[in-house]
Amino acid sequence: MTGANAQMDQGIVLRGASLVIRGTPILSDLTLALTEPRIGIVGQNGSGKTTLLRLMAGLVAPTSGSVTVDGIDPARDRKGMLSRLGILFQNPDQQILFPTVAEELAFGLRQQGHKDAETRARAALAAEGRAEWADLPVSTLSQGQRQWLCLQAILLMAPRTILLDEPFAALDLPTAARLTRRLASLPQRLITISHSPAAVATCDRILWLDGGCLRADGPPDAVLPAFTAEMARLGEADADPHLPR
Amino acid sequence: MLTLTSPVETPLHRWPAGLKLALLCAATILLFRMTTPLPLAAIATALAALHLLLGRSIAATALRQLRPLWPFLALLALWHGWTGDLAQGAIIALRLITAMALANLVTMTTRLSDMLAALDHLTAPLARSGLPTRRLTLAIALALRFIPVLSDRIDTIRAAWAARSPRRPGWRILIPAALAALDEADHVAESLRARGGAG
Repeated sequence: MTGANAQMDQGIVLRGASLVIRGTPILSDLTLALTEPRIGIVGQNGSGKTTLLRLMAGLVAPTSGSVTVDGIDPARDRKGMLSRLGILFQNPDQQILFPTVAEELAFGLRQQGHKDAETRARAALAAEGRAEWADLPVSTLSQGQRQWLCLQAILLMAPRTILLDEPFAALDLPTAARLTRRLASLPQRLITISHSPAAVATCDRILWLDGGCLRADGPPDAVLPAFTAEMARLGEADADPHLPR
Repeated sequence: MLTLTSPVETPLHRWPAGLKLALLCAATILLFRMTTPLPLAAIATALAALHLLLGRSIAATALRQLRPLWPFLALLALWHGWTGDLAQGAIIALRLITAMALANLVTMTTRLSDMLAALDHLTAPLARSGLPTRRLTLAIALALRFIPVLSDRIDTIRAAWAARSPRRPGWRILIPAALAALDEADHVAESLRARGGAG
């Protein structure tokens, strides 16, 4: 990221952002300015990690407070978001929209107004050494291959920031190692959700969500040991009485 | 079409999609103009022979795809048995079977991208008059993508039922299946929104 791009890149800014769904507070009063290249979000199941990601992606709007990406409201300016922000869903089957690989890859490009979307998608596959995948039905791909397809579809749209929801959750170890390497080499800003401290240990900054509130925010060696200790302590107990119902 | 396009290559795979669709159209119109059972039976037999010529596995798949038709055929037999008009019943049944088998054959031997290209070609005049044909192709692609996804979901629901009940689920899975479909629709909507919407 250089020149004019760098000046426009103001990152993701939340000001007192809260989200209440049917009377239940899911996220409470989050104020954050996210500009680091690698950010990890940790927390227990139900702590609001995925909701925070959806809020930043503009898939839900905050019930109070504000969210901006490079100064733009992501829930309103969808077209403007396409080049700024991409999101990798936790379950590839809920992300893939098209029956064949080439169509899935071409869709985002077409939405960005590229007339040669299909040609570009095929060229990108060829560049990855997978030209023969173009007309494959997505239903024949393995879980890891589907995740690869989802990431590729987002990378083709060249967003400045990519949000990743538990990217390693369903992958076997070699596939996870490959994806880790691939992600590490990306020039984009990455915001990764995980319940596993190891997956985000190399990030520049860690946010720890607890019951929809920010419990800690800092470099990994300041946040992760405390998080790991607390998770171990909670594991000793029999239930999660503190989580909202 | 995915799971519907046959992986076994047949000579029909190489015919242009547009030609196959046109022939299917013509054949279906013809079927509904015939009013005597014998020629219809002859056509059905010829079609069955054609399937066998294309290979045993295609023929077996084709027969399996006709399964959803059986309840209707049973209903037809009941009705026409009751009214005593068996010839009319045979005509309707033969028409149904032949038309569905023909359509399935076109589906099995045409790749999805060829089908969509043919469709784009067909709707091109509509696009010029300002109708959103991209949405039509999008809708068709979505339907094709989610037919196998939903049938997987229904299989999972059935398995979850069978794992905890000695009885067959039957109609009782309808509600969870409908809810699963709505849930799936929510996810599709979100994924569409994340990458620029349906426009």
